[in-house]
Amino acid sequence: MTTSPRGLWYRLGPIWSLVSLLAIVYVVTLINSFLGESVQVQLQYALVNLIIVVALQIFIGTSGVLSFGHVAFVAVGAWTVGLLTIDPELKRNLLPDLFPFLFDLNAPWLVAVVIGGVVGGLLALVVSPVLMRLNGLQAGIATFALLGVVNQVLTYWSSVGPRSGQSMVGIPDVLNLQTTMLFAMAAIVAAWLFQRTRPSRLLRAAREDGIAAASSGINVVSQRIIVFAVSGIVAGVAGGLFALTNRVVQSSQLNIELTFVTLAMLVLGGMLSLSGAVIGTLVFSLVDVLLVRMQNGLEIGAYVVSVPQGARAIILGLILVGMLLFRPSGITGGREFVWPFRSDRPLPGMPPTNES
Amino acid sequence: MTGQLIQSLVDALSAGATLGLAALSIGLVFGVIRLANFAQAEIITASAYCLIFTWQLGWFIAVPLSMLVAVAMSLLMEFAVFSRMRSANPATLLIASFGLSFLLQRVYELMFSNNVRTAPVASGLAQTVEFAGVRIQLLSVATITIAGLLLLGLHLFLSRTSMGLQLKAAAADFRTARLVGIPAGRVIALSFALSGILAAAVAFVLTVQSGAVGPTFGVQITILALVGAVIGGIDKISGSLAGGFLVGFVTSLLATWLPQEMSNFKDAYVFVLVIGVLLFRPSGLLIKGRGVART
Amino acid sequence: MSIDDNASIDDDASIVDDARSGSGQRGRGLRVEGLEVAYGGVPAVRGIDLEVKAGEAVGLIGPNGAGKSSTLLGIMGAVARSGRVLVKGEDLAGFPPEKVVRRGVALVPEGRHVFAELSVADNLRLGAVARRDRTGYSEAMEHVLTLFPMLRDFGHRQAGLLSGGQQQQLAIGRALMSDPDILLLDEPSLGLSPTAVDTVFEALDVIRAAGKAVLVVEQRAEFTIAFCDRTFVLHDGEITLTLSPEDAEKVDVLTKAYFG
Ligand SMILES: Nc1ncnc2c1ncn2[C@@H]1O[C@H](COP(=O)(O)OP(=O)(O)OP(=O)(O)O)[C@@H](O)[C@H]1O
Ligand SMILES: [Mg+2]
Repeated sequence: MTTSPRGLWYRLGPIWSLVSLLAIVYVVTLINSFLGESVQVQLQYALVNLIIVVALQIFIGTSGVLSFGHVAFVAVGAWTVGLLTIDPELKRNLLPDLFPFLFDLNAPWLVAVVIGGVVGGLLALVVSPVLMRLNGLQAGIATFALLGVVNQVLTYWSSVGPRSGQSMVGIPDVLNLQTTMLFAMAAIVAAWLFQRTRPSRLLRAAREDGIAAASSGINVVSQRIIVFAVSGIVAGVAGGLFALTNRVVQSSQLNIELTFVTLAMLVLGGMLSLSGAVIGTLVFSLVDVLLVRMQNGLEIGAYVVSVPQGARAIILGLILVGMLLFRPSGITGGREFVWPFRSDRPLPGMPPTNES
Repeated sequence: MTGQLIQSLVDALSAGATLGLAALSIGLVFGVIRLANFAQAEIITASAYCLIFTWQLGWFIAVPLSMLVAVAMSLLMEFAVFSRMRSANPATLLIASFGLSFLLQRVYELMFSNNVRTAPVASGLAQTVEFAGVRIQLLSVATITIAGLLLLGLHLFLSRTSMGLQLKAAAADFRTARLVGIPAGRVIALSFALSGILAAAVAFVLTVQSGAVGPTFGVQITILALVGAVIGGIDKISGSLAGGFLVGFVTSLLATWLPQEMSNFKDAYVFVLVIGVLLFRPSGLLIKGRGVART
Repeated sequence: MSIDDNASIDDDASIVDDARSGSGQRGRGLRVEGLEVAYGGVPAVRGIDLEVKAGEAVGLIGPNGAGKSSTLLGIMGAVARSGRVLVKGEDLAGFPPEKVVRRGVALVPEGRHVFAELSVADNLRLGAVARRDRTGYSEAMEHVLTLFPMLRDFGHRQAGLLSGGQQQQLAIGRALMSDPDILLLDEPSLGLSPTAVDTVFEALDVIRAAGKAVLVVEQRAEFTIAFCDRTFVLHDGEITLTLSPEDAEKVDVLTKAYFG
């Protein structure tokens, strides 16, 4: 903190914050990979969630508009990867009502994930001219409605998926923890780079001062559309990875509950910074892992710490509500995290969040 | 055919009335403190559990008790959580209520297990009566009656009493209401209490309908109510009511009249309708002009 | 006409004296010491001292954004503030608006803010919410209706349907219903026709003569300076000039008031 404003750390700050985030993800993955199979599985889900939360942050953190709809992009990403990677023979048997052309459509999983991202981004792009005009509560409700529509379509439209009540099975086991981690890191890098682009900067400026932005001629809606589509791509990729991690996809898994959990992670970390997305997800997932362990009795030395079955979700809920009550700007307070130096300099066009 | 038409209209009216009440219970609070309370769902659930558990003691105990539970929960939420978030914006408040809702659902799971609890609550109302060739569910008639009476009572309260007038003023313009000398804490508590009473009515209707209550009992209707309130114009008490009614009415008609393979998508149609309404009337159907919503 | 339910009888006797001499902490006027208001750390009012005695009208003028409204809102407790706000010797620091109103201060807010969907009568009724007594209510109502006879004819009309000038009268009437000792007005002439402005200021004259302390924020400098017993010029949250009615005609003073 003794460095002058023009000091080396100051200029390196943004890159350094990126490096620290990547390092954190790496270290967390490394440590956890020694902790046994079940933790590894949980961690892989956590990393997929991390990408969803990053997608949410790209949009919410930049525009200041609430979205309950991103899980819709996750869902179409997951659907896409499911359809493209399940063995054609299996598909014919398990998903008999599919459009015929889908039977033989097949792609290597990596390509499928990329296409999942494209589909997620396209859906976001298609609905954005409508959704991006709205603000505040209206935007929240409209994005929620989008999730509702997509979820119902995926649940009941057997021409693009399983019959209602059934799930898509037979997704190949190809994704390991390391690869998932690389995807998570890539998402972080992508989000970080995107923060530095013009649409993102303009939108942050507009978020801070709607009137000034409007009078300086920024077309908020069109900037928002770009940002929404980009976050849709990231969410679509996350959906693809979810499909490969879970290996079974069902529309009920990609609905309100996931929306809530990922939003909770983002709120916990702090919506206004990328660090918030990363740290919120990791902290939330870590606490979750611990609580699951404690439900089964966690041994620390000679002591056994345990919490009653079902207490896990309650404690997670309490943490979230407590956070909103006492520190609504999240763990990071909306600042980028710079390890080991605390950066007091918020991102350009990103003020410290109001204390309220 | 006409018989079927009338029957479906009565059902739709009753569905609209239920959802209208639920939306109103959200709008009442929103008007005053800009909180779209998602955890209204858990107030409904609590009240419904109460009905199920106490029904064998007699309706004259179970019904007042369920109202008491709803009002108490509503006030408790206000004092424990929302009163501490006065300066937060509506989006943050919505997320907070979302979190509270999630939290309470898990508490119910722990207390009452994931399985539904059942009791034949007012099973007499579950009958169908035939009247001039038209088969009508008694419950639909009861629902419409309950809603009508409650709305009448609420209307009288708001327009005839000083407290009601203060609440109306606070809902219209909270800041000015305070400047005029209306005590903020008292009107807010009043709005939560009234909202609790409406939630209890909704819980009663839904419990009679299904006879079974689980931890997420109130969620479905609350989501639709929230959606209804916003498209009707959550800024205005009448807007929430009308929006909720509309969504309930349309959903019910779609469920009855759409062919089987399409009726699966009835919620999707409603949601598309919602997005359309929001696009053309972002502040709600009943609010004149665009963008007057103080959100 | 003034019905003061809060003051005890011996207080009442001294009040008349206080009003005359205008002195002392226990007077029925308003005294503000070192008032500061800031929004998110950005100061809008930076330490204002002013006093309005009973039976006196004080003006507050200044350019847009000078902090005039913030001063009034600070007095009302509607925004976070520091400093002392003394009424009848009691410091109202930390009081929420509803309590400030109960101590005898009423605000006619900028832009009137009548409850548009409610009737004129209901608006007036709401103004009396802060009253503790029942007896004074009808008297206050009678007084308001005498002051603004128009309101009597439109009792059942929706307030939002009134003209701007009528709404302003209603807003003042609503504030008077709590029988305040101190009346704060934020730009009562905003958007009104000249005749409507006259009506409003004639009423203010009556209110002042009835022994109330009036603090009026205005944009129309000349008019305000002439009307008020004293007028403060506010600039960037600070009082830079104090003017007396004689200054109303001096053009250079006026220019200075506005461009500082
Ligand atoms: N709610 C608010 N949040 C943030 N800043 C505010 C708020 N209200 C006022 N301000 C700022 O405080 C300063 C003083 O504003 P205020 O409304 O008191 O000015 P004013 O003298 O009444 O102006 P006008 O003549 O335009 O009414 C201005 O710079 C304004 O931008
Ligand atoms: Mg002003």
